[in-house]
Amino acid sequence: MTPVVEMRGVTKVYRSGSGARTVEVHALRGVDLAIQPGEYVALMGPSGSGKSTLMHIIGLLDSPTEGEYRLGGEPVRGLSEAQLARIRNQRVGFVFQAFFLLPRLTALHNVALPLVYRGVPLAKRLERARAALEAVGLGDRLDHLPSELSGGQKQRVAIARALVQEPDLLLADEPTGNLDSQSSEEVLALFDALHRQGKTILMVTHEYEVGARAQRIVRLRDGRVVEGGV
Amino acid sequence: MSPLENFRMAFESLLGNKLRSFLALLGIVIGVFAVTAMVSLGQMATAGITQDLEAIAGRSIFVQPNFNEGQDFTSAPIREEDLVALQTLPVQVIPQLFTSLQYESRPGERRSLQLQGTPGDLPRLDPTTRVARGRYFTEAEARGGLAVAVLSDRAARELFPGREAVGQVARLYYPGGSRLELTVVGVLEPPSGIFGGLGSSAVVFAPIPLVWNTAPNLRRGEYAFVVLSLKKGADARQVTQQVRRIFESRYGKGKYQVQSTESFQDTLRSVTLILQALLGAIAGLSLLVGGIGIMNIMLVSVTERTREIGLRKALGATSAQVRQQFLIEAVVLTLVGGVLGVVLAASLLFLVTATVPFFKVYILSPLTVLLALAVSALVGLFFGVWPAARAAALDPIEALRYE
Ligand SMILES: Nc1ncnc2c1ncn2[C@@H]1O[C@H](COP(=O)(O)OP(=O)(O)OP(=O)(O)O)[C@@H](O)[C@H]1O
Ligand SMILES: [Mg+2]
Repeated sequence: MTPVVEMRGVTKVYRSGSGARTVEVHALRGVDLAIQPGEYVALMGPSGSGKSTLMHIIGLLDSPTEGEYRLGGEPVRGLSEAQLARIRNQRVGFVFQAFFLLPRLTALHNVALPLVYRGVPLAKRLERARAALEAVGLGDRLDHLPSELSGGQKQRVAIARALVQEPDLLLADEPTGNLDSQSSEEVLALFDALHRQGKTILMVTHEYEVGARAQRIVRLRDGRVVEGGV
Repeated sequence: MSPLENFRMAFESLLGNKLRSFLALLGIVIGVFAVTAMVSLGQMATAGITQDLEAIAGRSIFVQPNFNEGQDFTSAPIREEDLVALQTLPVQVIPQLFTSLQYESRPGERRSLQLQGTPGDLPRLDPTTRVARGRYFTEAEARGGLAVAVLSDRAARELFPGREAVGQVARLYYPGGSRLELTVVGVLEPPSGIFGGLGSSAVVFAPIPLVWNTAPNLRRGEYAFVVLSLKKGADARQVTQQVRRIFESRYGKGKYQVQSTESFQDTLRSVTLILQALLGAIAGLSLLVGGIGIMNIMLVSVTERTREIGLRKALGATSAQVRQQFLIEAVVLTLVGGVLGVVLAASLLFLVTATVPFFKVYILSPLTVLLALAVSALVGLFFGVWPAARAAALDPIEALRYE
């Protein structure tokens, strides 16, 4: 089977400043990584080790300085901004630590948002958003604004927003980082369930107990994979 | 993503910030209001002036000697043979004579009025002359030089205060002292419209031969002034040119002045045009200021919504789609301002027509409305470009990290 994510020698160098005072930060120093369809992978490592950077490259929000990256078997090097946006829209679902729901939109409309960029008609969008919200157990909160939801519920809305895209890969950057333990449990149970349904998940986390629920743990240190890369 | 989708989003975000959106709009509202009101008021004024002018002077051409060479007008009169030449044109030729007269308002006190010699049956020749009471003297009476007169409304009131003038005998004096007694056969209607004031002088109309016979300073066969009343369908500009050519070929350039009511109207039109241009400049300025206000509010909005933009990009929005979203938002904003401005202008125009007699007709042409809305949309487009470009250029990772 074609791996969902396939990376070889990926590096990322951030340059800041100019001239003689240019500072280079090597966020990734040659990462090899493969994620198979249906896998649930936890990405762990100390702060600053490059977890988010790697996540952004995998999700096509950023591009590697060097190395090769294939998403679903297709190389992404040289794609235009619009092509990358399209692939993000159709193949990758993001879940962020800070939820990033639009405060003026109801849960239903927040979830329907990615489909706007796919040209799905409004009625169809809302129908699919409703189904996604029901799948995360929020079928009774469709018309609530984010401010009327608990942290755990907000994160489940965000997960529904990722699911509505029917992505090849779910990317979650510390999805429980802003949540109390009970809400964290809600969200993690949802990820467990999604894994059982066959979804491919890559989750960044600091916490060992969270990582332990995944099938496999990939450890990063100083921009290198030190455990579980392939 | 369809434009409709963008409009929906734009409205959602504007409604989310009603007060701010409204304040940002004020400049546009005022600008569009000024543009619309100005264009329409100009059209209404032109329509009003044209109507008034036609009521008082009809479609006419006026010929008179040029006085600017320091001569008495009798030195270059209009002669009988000139009139014959003019008869070939599609006009009614109405020659006239002027001289001044006096009457005794109270014993020992004399006042001036104007004596005007005209052909008989003037209302038939010139539709703007309307008899209120009595009749105009006939052609036969005119040719025979009978001592009859028709009075202007004001002359009737001055000569016969509080009495019916028709049937009375008017006792008048030439400046030299010789007496002239005329039987009043009719009184004219007072002129109306904004030019009514101009036409409301005290005038005694009498047969031309009578004036020649009695006035000490006028010579038989010479006229001071000719009005050419255009026949239906005649082209004023063309006929004016022909009249000018007739007089130039007979007397040389610059001896006679030939003017038409249309040329007055042209002058008036150019005056309103200048006024409109002036108001237009003011409107343009307020649109510029309004546009900068829109740009400012859009820049603030882009900054405030940095994370939203990052999120949309992460969810698959292209830079072009983000740019489009903010451009349409700016256009919707200014269009709403444009609609408010037009509505405001329409109510002002309505009020003006209802209260100011000079503005008789309400004119708000669809073209004006279209122009106003197009201008406001263009302002949004123009001043939205930069904020939209900034939104489009945001890096999604940076944008999502933005606090
Ligand atoms: N835009 C940037 N410009 C310069 N340096 C950057 C930039 N983004 C990240 N870095 C640096 O790259 C390194 C990796 O950052 P990254 O955010 O990937 O770490 P992380 O593992 O996600 O850390 P944390 O657990 O704290 O979220 C860090 O040293 C960080 O300072
Ligand atoms: Mg991180």
